[in-house]
This record gives sequence, structure tokens and C-alpha cells, in this order.
Amino acid sequence: MARFVTFRVITAVCLLTLLSLITFVVYATIPVEPAGFLVDLQHAKPSQIAAAHDALGLNHSVWYRYGDYLRRLAHGDFGTAWSSLGIGYDGQIHGAAVGHMVYEAAGVTGSIILGGAVLLVVIAVPLALVSARAPRSVLDRTVVAISLVGISTHPLVIGVVLRLMFGERWRWLPPTGYCNLTGPPALPDFRLANGAIPQGCGGLKEWTTHLILPWLTFALFFVALYMRMLRARLLETLHTHYVRTARAKGAGEFRVLGRHALPNVVAPMSIMLAMDAGTAIGISIYIESVYFLPGVGHLLLNALNGERGYDLPLILGVMFISATAIIALNALADVIARVIDPRITSISRSGAGGVRSGLA
Amino acid sequence: MSAGARARRTLRGDKVLFASALAALLLVASVAIGPPILSAALGHTSDEPFPYATDPIFRKPVDPLTKVYDTTREYSDESGYQRVAPPKGTQKTWFFAGADSSLGRDELLRLLEGGRTSLEVAVGGTLLAMVIGLLIGMVGGFLGGLVDAAFARFTEFVMAFPLMLLVIAIGTQTNNHLDAITLGFLPPGVFALIVLIGGFTWFYPARVIRTQVAELRNREFVEAAVMIGAKDSRILRTHVLPHVLPTALVYLTLLVPVNVLLEAGITFLGVGIHLPTPSWGNLLSTTWGTVLSPTAFDARRATVWLTLLPSLMIFITVFTFNQLGEGLREAFDTEGRG
Repeated sequence: MARFVTFRVITAVCLLTLLSLITFVVYATIPVEPAGFLVDLQHAKPSQIAAAHDALGLNHSVWYRYGDYLRRLAHGDFGTAWSSLGIGYDGQIHGAAVGHMVYEAAGVTGSIILGGAVLLVVIAVPLALVSARAPRSVLDRTVVAISLVGISTHPLVIGVVLRLMFGERWRWLPPTGYCNLTGPPALPDFRLANGAIPQGCGGLKEWTTHLILPWLTFALFFVALYMRMLRARLLETLHTHYVRTARAKGAGEFRVLGRHALPNVVAPMSIMLAMDAGTAIGISIYIESVYFLPGVGHLLLNALNGERGYDLPLILGVMFISATAIIALNALADVIARVIDPRITSISRSGAGGVRSGLA
Repeated sequence: MSAGARARRTLRGDKVLFASALAALLLVASVAIGPPILSAALGHTSDEPFPYATDPIFRKPVDPLTKVYDTTREYSDESGYQRVAPPKGTQKTWFFAGADSSLGRDELLRLLEGGRTSLEVAVGGTLLAMVIGLLIGMVGGFLGGLVDAAFARFTEFVMAFPLMLLVIAIGTQTNNHLDAITLGFLPPGVFALIVLIGGFTWFYPARVIRTQVAELRNREFVEAAVMIGAKDSRILRTHVLPHVLPTALVYLTLLVPVNVLLEAGITFLGVGIHLPTPSWGNLLSTTWGTVLSPTAFDARRATVWLTLLPSLMIFITVFTFNQLGEGLREAFDTEGRG
């Protein structure tokens, strides 16, 4: 186990370094003028542009800058987002820390993914149960057909159509935006024209109503794959001798399914859930851009398409932090798999599922 | 029985496979030769704006199955503000799928031409991915060793990583350089997207083929070929390649729908095909409430059809090619182990 963990950590560090190097070099060698984040390029004197370069640390070679970035990274400093830079009253340059921005956005993305995963389980397990209980029945065929349709539907299409119908056309739920779970954000130094303090939205109720459509989108994207897997597993289980024995002993249907059949699918499902973490983060980019949620994907899109050019520290920060999270989650999936079933040496994705996860 | 004969027999026996192969052919044919035939039959092209295909005040495009005046000029009364019907004798023309936007172009023609772009991207990206995947998978699986192990770890990492983050982070930059390359027949932006998609999806076929070749490596006929002194390149070409071709074909078919979805996704996020070139991705995303057109949905200005029709086209394509791929997988009896 110790050797396994060491190996995983070393590969993870190598891959993360490689990833940050590629991103850094691709972006650092583009002929765009990042000084525009600090000075007005149209009117600035060359000396002012030089000072801006100095402040942004652009006076060195790409390799020196990359080394410097790694050094600061080792101290847990992701740098300051260029797009947030400004000169304060004290004449100093201020900006938002990338680490903090990603942390806040990760809360939003996390809310989408966790809620969506819960909804996914709530939808997929009962459907798989009713489907596996009576194979080839009308109900089973419907469920299989739905999962076939689901597998061919773009998450974007699900999102856009749900937003269009439930959010915009029928107005059942708020179509866009995000509300904090902990309560409305304080806006102390800001007043509307009539002198009122603007009320941000927040709290459990508004958080939930704003996230129902994103959760549904997330769950519907994954539900087809999960239902397929669960149904196959349950069909296998329902044909085993111990289930027949339980039936012969007169156990009720509820007990047979709940006590004897379901525990067999808990393990593969939890492994699958942990392994799909990467796909989930990818899917949440679509969800965030459809429902305008300020999550990690949204942060990355803004960093790439900013008015004054790309925001290198923010791009690197988002890439690095999400890659770390995914590597950690995959390692966790490996460990869960080993704990649940010691026969497993390494988990791998199945063919079609693997191809499809390329989508995100 | 050879793989080809078995495939032909299955094609006759398997109705789903036959139907999906037919549907896929029909789809490709309709986006390839459909637009010129249809515009000749209807009498207008996909780029012509028809003012009478939109609402006079809010410019809301007409719904599907409408006949509109066949004129690109808009007539008004003496005040110059009120729209009036064109002069008597103006012909009407069919808009089977309605109009595409406030410009009033034919949505059906745009859908078909967008489909051509999308399929060009998807098929091109798939072919590129398959070429890279075959090369790396075969060489890696055959030679084994350190390079192969490093590749396997790298592939695992990439497969776990949210591809979309990488694609949009790298793609925003590379597309600026590659957008103008058209190779003489592609719309602008397609080549850049082919390179981007092909460069990020070759891992899946490579992995499957690597596993298969590593198994074949230890079979008797390969050992025999090694023993009589055949070169590695010859063994790979004449002994190994025929065995992995069915798998390659299955993955070729299964990657097309994934890449259709990817094109739509990338374009939706503002990195892929740009207007005025239509593609299913930007037909879906230039309607309302997206990064590309961040206005809220307004029932007076937008119709739900402009969202539903491209969605439907994407769905039909993906569904067809998925069924075809699964059918082929069964026909060839290849284990699609990832």
C-alpha cells in the first residue's frame, strides 16, 4: 500500500508540473500585451508600460517566470488575478488572490455537482429497480428506451431546453443566477438611486430554487449511464441463488430488493461516482454557462475571454486546482475500490462510457 | 468466415444495424448534397435575408411551415414606418423550418449547412484521432517497455481530467493561428477545430488498440513471424493491423457522435466555429441567453424552435451513429475494452 501511494503521489506531481508547464508556455508566448491590465495602452508612455511590466513580473524570460511561479506555488501562493488588478488610493497595486477566487467558485461548482449527484442516485436507483424486477416488461422497455435517448443527448441541449421551458417560457423556476446558501451577501457601501440597500439573494430556499434546474440537468446527463449499469448489475444479482433462497423463505419483495439485491450495487456505484468526478467538473462548465452560475468553469471562460486579454495567473490557478482535485478524487476512488473489493487491482473505464466521458 | 462476410451476414440479420446504417447514410447525404438541391427547389439560398420572414416590429422569426414573400426588400407605406405587403404578383416561398433570426434566413438550409460543418469537424477530428491512436496504440502495445508505461499513465490522467477545461484553455489560443486554414474546401475555423478535437480524443482508440496489440503480441502467428525474421514494421502492417481494424472501425463510428457533441459544446463556449459559418453548435447558441448572445429569452423576439431544431438534429445524429457503432461492435464481436 505504501509503495502504491508513493507511486501515485509521484505520478500526480509529475503530471501536474507537466500540465502547468504546457499551459504556462502556451499562454506566456502569445504576443498580447498584459500591461493593458494596469495602464491604458493607448495613452501610456513607454516608461509607464515598462513600470507595468515590472509590476506584473514580465521582465524576465519565460523559463525564469515559470520557475518563479513554481516557487510561489510551493508556498501555496497562486498569485493575483490580472483582471482584478487596480491601483488603490495608497498608490499600491491591489488585486484579488487567485486562490480565494477559485475557492469561492469551487463552492458553486461543488453545490452543482454534489446536489446533482444526490438527485442522480435518487432518480437512477428506483428506476433501475423497477426495470430489473420485471425485465422485458413495458416499464423496463420504457426505461431502456429513455436511457438510450439520454445517452445521445448533449448536456447542453438538456440545459438549454430545461431553461427555455421551465425557466423562461413557463417561469416555474428562476432560469439563471446563483444565491449563496449562507445568506445574502453584505453590500454595505452601495446604495440604489432611491437610497435603499440592494438585497442580494441568499438562504436555503433561494439557493435550492436556483439550483434545481442545474441539478436536474446534471442528473439527467448521467442518469442514462448509471441506470444501464445498475440495471445490468441488479439483473445479475436477482438471478443468484441467495436471492432465490430469500424468496423461497417467503421474504417480502421489499426485503429481497433492499436487503439482498441493493447492497451489491452500492460498491460499483460509489466507485463510478468517484471516478466520474472529472467528467462532472467538465459537465459543470456547460451547466454554469447555460444558467450563468459563477463556478470554476465560468471563472476560466472569463479569464480566457476578458476584454483586456487573457488572465494568465487565473487560468493557471483554475487548471492546477481542478487537476489536483481530480487526481485526489481518482486516488480516492482507487482506495474505495480496494477497500470494498480487495480483488480489484486497478479500476478502468469501460469502452463506450470511456469514449463518452471524452465529452467533458 | 472472414470478418467482412460475417459483417454482411449480420447486416442482413440485424435490423437495427441496417436501419442505423441507412439513417447515417441518409444523414450524410442530406447535409452533403441537400443544401444545393433544396435551394434550387425553393428558389432561395441560406444567406439571403427575407424581411417578410420576421415580425415587422420585434423582428421575431416566423415559425416552421410558413410561406413568406419571396423578396429581400421590405416595403413600407408613405410614412416610412409601417410595413406593407409587397407589390401584387410577388411570389411566396416555403420556410419549412421557419426563419433563423431577426435577419429572416431559411432555418432549414442553415440547419443542413450547419450539419455539414458539424459533420466535417466530427469526421475530420475522428479520422485524425484514429490515425494518431492507431500509430501510438500499435507501436506502444507492440514494443511495450518504459515509453508504453509512461504513455499508459499519461492516458489515464488525460481520461480522468475534464477535457473541456484543457480544450478551451488551449483551443482559444491555437484557433487564432489555425482559423484561416481552409485547405481549399473547408469553411474557416473547421480545420482548427479538427486539429483541436483530434488532438484531444485520440487517447480512447489508442488505449483500446494498445491493449489488443499487447495481447496479439504473444500469439503464435506473431511469434512465428518474429522467428522467420520479419521486421517489426512488416509484422505490424501485415499481421497485427488486420486484427485491430474492426476495433478501429467500431471506434471510428463511436467517436463521430462524441465529436459532434464536442463541436456543439466547444462552439457554445465561444471557442469553436464562428459566425457567419453555420454549425449546429452555433445555431444552438446564437439564439438567446448564452455566452454568444447574452439576452434573456423574450417570447416576442425569439421562438423556441430555434433552440429545439438544432437540438433535435444533434440528437438524431448522435443517436444514429451511436446505434451504428454499437451494432458494428456486436457484428464484429470486438470486445470494446477501454
